[in-house]
Amino acid sequence: METKEKIQSDLLQFLSRQFFVDIEDIQIDKSLIDTGIIDSMGLIEIASYIKKTHGFVVSNEQMNRDNFGSVLKLVDFIYKTKS
Amino acid sequence: MHNNIKNVKRCTKCILSANFPRIKFDEKGVCNFCNNELLHSTEQEDITSATLEVQKLFDDKRGKSEYDAIVCYSGGKDSTYTLKLAVEKYKLNILSFTLDNGFISPVAFKNIEKVVTALGVDHITYRPSYEFMKGLYRVSSLENIYNPKTLTRISSNCNSCISIINITSLKIALEKRIPFILAGFTLGQIPSNTIYYQNNYEFFKESRKPILDKFKSEIGPEVSRYMEISEDLLKSSESFPHNINLLCMEDITENEILEKIKPLGWIKPGDVDGCSTNCRINSFNNYVHTLKFGYSPYELELSHLIRKNLLSREEALEKLFDQPEDQINYAKSELKLDENQILKNKVV
Repeated sequence: METKEKIQSDLLQFLSRQFFVDIEDIQIDKSLIDTGIIDSMGLIEIASYIKKTHGFVVSNEQMNRDNFGSVLKLVDFIYKTKS
Repeated sequence: MHNNIKNVKRCTKCILSANFPRIKFDEKGVCNFCNNELLHSTEQEDITSATLEVQKLFDDKRGKSEYDAIVCYSGGKDSTYTLKLAVEKYKLNILSFTLDNGFISPVAFKNIEKVVTALGVDHITYRPSYEFMKGLYRVSSLENIYNPKTLTRISSNCNSCISIINITSLKIALEKRIPFILAGFTLGQIPSNTIYYQNNYEFFKESRKPILDKFKSEIGPEVSRYMEISEDLLKSSESFPHNINLLCMEDITENEILEKIKPLGWIKPGDVDGCSTNCRINSFNNYVHTLKFGYSPYELELSHLIRKNLLSREEALEKLFDQPEDQINYAKSELKLDENQILKNKVV
């Protein structure tokens, strides 16, 4: 089982490459949309990343602010779903 | 403006310019995108996976609704080929849909008529009021409405127009219980991990709220009619359609596409720029984007085609530089905009 630290580190690498942003500029406790890192299509890209990297499909019901609201929330969501 | 586009430093392999976000060049003048430092390296995996999944989805849903899919059909070469693929390769029963933004080339309209006739599909055209569309383009040109990330791939004006296409096609799909919405985007225009996805309007709506609020404050409440879906329709919908970009799963050059659609009667309009095959406001949209950001919204897409060996660097530059002044001036006059107004919100 991957640690939360590993999940977060991989996610930040993905966000940096996919959305042309430096890791230091990503505020991990803030909404990626509100801080201008991603747009609404970015949510689809993150869901696709989760499927490919962590092996589960994100349902429409799971794609909400509680799970996708920040990097920290995404890490929690991925960790809990996998365990 | 065109001299600026021509004189800017560009990658020696692709056409990304020095003004593109996060670009760096090595000692040979090759950019970090070509050197694969900033690209998602698993594009082929995405295509292979999407090809299998999309085929399964089609096999599962084909023949179970009034239409299998709605095709967003602009009359341009890519959506024409998408329509052909949907009918002939995937054997889908199609409703073709065109948004008339008020700037479609007359030749493109004739192409639409010829192609839907040749392929034997039902077709509808939706034309929002010209005043509304002009207002939308004015606001999109003047204000910084969208996330700069969004605008690395598309101009603000095109994004606004596509938002209306997306919402209108989703409304039709929900009303008619159509399981798929097909569009003619290519890789480069969209990331490879969005070749297909299930629509999630509720969450998109939340994330788009600041954008809609800006439009409403600048244009008026009629924005809702064109860019939102009623609660009643949402409540009565059992599931949301999948959006699929068939062209992303095809390894085909532009010339090959043109050859494939020629028998349908499609001909290239003469009154559009090098990057469009249907829309007469595209040059203006590129002009606004270049003024504000210092690079063309087509650089990423054309560069992707170069890396895939689907277009030469020379052909890409020719397209990029083919931005007729008369079309830019026509749009400026229709929208009552000048360069100084646009430059007030310059980003770079």
